[in-house]
Amino acid sequence: MRFSRLSALRLEDQISRIAARIIGLFVWMFIVTSAFGSDVDVFVVDKDGQPVADVAVYAMRPGEQNDLSAPTASAVMDQIDKQFVPHLLVVQTGTPVEFPNSDTVAHHVYSFSHPNKFLLPMYKGEQHPPVTFEHSGVVSIGCNIHDHMLGYILVVDSTTYTKTDENGKASLSLENAEDYEISIWSPRIRDVDELLSKTVVMSGNPGSEVKFHLSKKLSPPHGGQSGSMSWSEY
Amino acid sequence: MVRVLILIAAIFLAFAVRAASAAEAPDRYKLRTGIDVSYIASSGYTSWTEGLVGKLRYDDNNEGLMISRAFADYEFQLVDTLKVHAAVEAYDDDIGSTVDFTQAYVEWRPVPRSENRYRLKLGAFYPRISLENVSAGWSSPYSMSSSTINTWVAEELRTVGAELSVSRRPAMFGGAHSISLQGAVFFGNDPTGSLLAWKGWSVHDRQSRFGDELPLPPLPLIQPGMLFDDQDPYVAPFREIDGQAGYYVSGEWRFNQQLLIRVMHYDNRADPTADEDGQYAWTTKFEHIGAHAALPGDWDLLFQWMTGSTVMGSVVNGARDLDTEFDSMYLMLTRVYDRHRLSVRYDRFEVTENDQTPQDDNAEDGNAWTLAYFYDFSDKVSFGAESLSIKTDRFSWQYYGLDPTRTEKQFQLSLRLRFGN
Repeated sequence: MRFSRLSALRLEDQISRIAARIIGLFVWMFIVTSAFGSDVDVFVVDKDGQPVADVAVYAMRPGEQNDLSAPTASAVMDQIDKQFVPHLLVVQTGTPVEFPNSDTVAHHVYSFSHPNKFLLPMYKGEQHPPVTFEHSGVVSIGCNIHDHMLGYILVVDSTTYTKTDENGKASLSLENAEDYEISIWSPRIRDVDELLSKTVVMSGNPGSEVKFHLSKKLSPPHGGQSGSMSWSEY
Repeated sequence: MVRVLILIAAIFLAFAVRAASAAEAPDRYKLRTGIDVSYIASSGYTSWTEGLVGKLRYDDNNEGLMISRAFADYEFQLVDTLKVHAAVEAYDDDIGSTVDFTQAYVEWRPVPRSENRYRLKLGAFYPRISLENVSAGWSSPYSMSSSTINTWVAEELRTVGAELSVSRRPAMFGGAHSISLQGAVFFGNDPTGSLLAWKGWSVHDRQSRFGDELPLPPLPLIQPGMLFDDQDPYVAPFREIDGQAGYYVSGEWRFNQQLLIRVMHYDNRADPTADEDGQYAWTTKFEHIGAHAALPGDWDLLFQWMTGSTVMGSVVNGARDLDTEFDSMYLMLTRVYDRHRLSVRYDRFEVTENDQTPQDDNAEDGNAWTLAYFYDFSDKVSFGAESLSIKTDRFSWQYYGLDPTRTEKQFQLSLRLRFGN
C-alpha cells in the first residue's frame, strides 16, 4: 500500500517533470526564435499592381528613437557621370555620409533641406570630412554647378531599413512579439503619408508579408544624365 | 592664314599658362579650344561676307583648303558661386579683327536656400534661343552650319546686360521635371534686324564678335543722296544707339534628358527713328519656341520656330519706311551610332514686307536642307562632312543684276581638333 502510494507519487512527480521539460523546451524554443527574430517581406506595388523598385523601407518600434544604438558604419553617396549614386540612400540618424567625387569635373554639393542642410566646398576627387545627419527626414541633395543632378538621403530613427529590389520586394529582419511600424518612402510616391505606414505584430510565423498597394500614379523616375541630349549647360 | 597661325600659337601659350597654374587650383579653370581645318566647295552668289548677297559664308572665290574656324572657350571659377566665362573666335576674313570675343560674362550661382535656384548673368552673352549650339565655343555637335534661326542669332543677337533666372523642380512631379523662367534687360542690339531685313536669312557657322562690322549688300537705299545714306556699308549689331534698354522674358520646361521646351519674347525696344555713327536703330521683336525631344530608337528631334518683325524709319502710309516681318523654322533629326553621328535638317524661312518704300524690296522666301556626318576618332579629333543646299526667292537680287531665284550649295569636309580640360 505504502509502496503503491509511493509509486503513484513518483509517477505524478515524473509526469510533472516531463511536463516541465516540455514547457521548458517550448520556452527555450520561444526564446531562441525570439532572439533570432524573423524576416518580414515587404512588397510595394503601384496603382496597376506592378512592382516598384528603389523604395526605401524601414521599421520602427514605438519609442525606438530613444534607445537606438549609435550607428557603427558610415555611408557613401558618390558622384558618377554627373549623377548621385545611389539616387536614394537610406541611413540611420547620426550616420556620417561621405560624398566622394568620381567624376573628372568638380561638383558643388549642397542641400537646403531643413534641418539637415549643408554645403560642401567645390571639389573634385578629394574627400571631405563626411556629413553627419542628426535629424530624421528627407534630405534633397543637389549640385550647384550641374542643376540636373539630384539625390535623396532618407534619414531614419531606425536600425532596420533597406530598399525594394526590382521585384518591389524588401526583406526586413525583425524581432518577434514586438509591434512595428513599417514605412516606405520614395520621391516618386504621391500617396498621402498615412497610407505609407503599416503596423504589424511579429508573431514569429515564417513568411510574414506586408504589402503596400499605392493608389496614386507614380511620378516618373529622375533620369539623370541618361539619353543622347547634352543640354545641361546652356 | 598668318593671323590664324598666330592665334594657334596664342592658344598653345594659353595652355602653357594653364598648365603652370593647374598645380594650384586644378578645378578652377576650364579651357576648351578648337580648330576646324576644312576643305570647302561652294557654289552660289558672292557671299554676304564679301559684301554681296550670297547666303553662305563661302563662294567660288573663297573656297578650298583653309582653317575655317578657331576658338577658345574659357571658364574661371572666381569663388565657388561666381564664374567668369569668355569665348573668342578667330576668323580669317575682313569683317573684324582676327581674334575677338563672342561672349564675356560673369555668372553668379548662389547656393539655393529653397527649391528655387537663382542664377544671374552679367555681361555679354547669347540669349537662350539656340538648341543646336550647346558645346564649348557655342559649337553645334549636330552640324557645322547652324539653322537659319541660329545663324541669325550668331550674326546679330547678343545680350549686353543682365539675365536673372529662377528654376525649380515642382515637388508634385517628383524630380524628373524642371521649370525655369528668365528675364533679361540689355543694352546694345539696336541695329539688330538690319542684316535680317537687308540681307535676309543665312546658313553658316560664323559668329559675330563684338568688334565685327558685318558687310551689307550695296543697297540702293544707303547710297549717297538716298533715304538712308547715313548707313555705313556694314552693320555693327551690338551697338547702343538710343539709350533705351531692351528686354526678353523666357521660360523653359525640361523632363529629364528626354524633352525640353523653351519659349521667349524678345523686344530690343529700339527707337526706330534713331541713328548714330552710321548705324540705324531697328525695333526688333520676336517670339521664339523651341523643342528638343528624345525619340524612340535613339533619334533626337530638334525644332525651333521664330516669328517677329523689324522696323526702321518714319511712318509713311501706316508703315515705317522699312517695315518687315520675319519667320523661320527648322526640324532636325540626329542620331549617334557608336562613333558616328548623322544629322539631317530642313529649314524654312521668309521675310515679308509691309512698306511701300521704292528700291528696297526685302521680301524673301526659301528653304534649306543640311546633311551632316561626323566621325569621332577620339575626344580630340573628329572628321566631319556636310552638304547644304539653300534655295531662295528674293526680288531684290535683281537690283544687282542677279536672278531672283537661286539655289546655293556648299560642301564641307573638316578635321575638327578639340583640346581642353
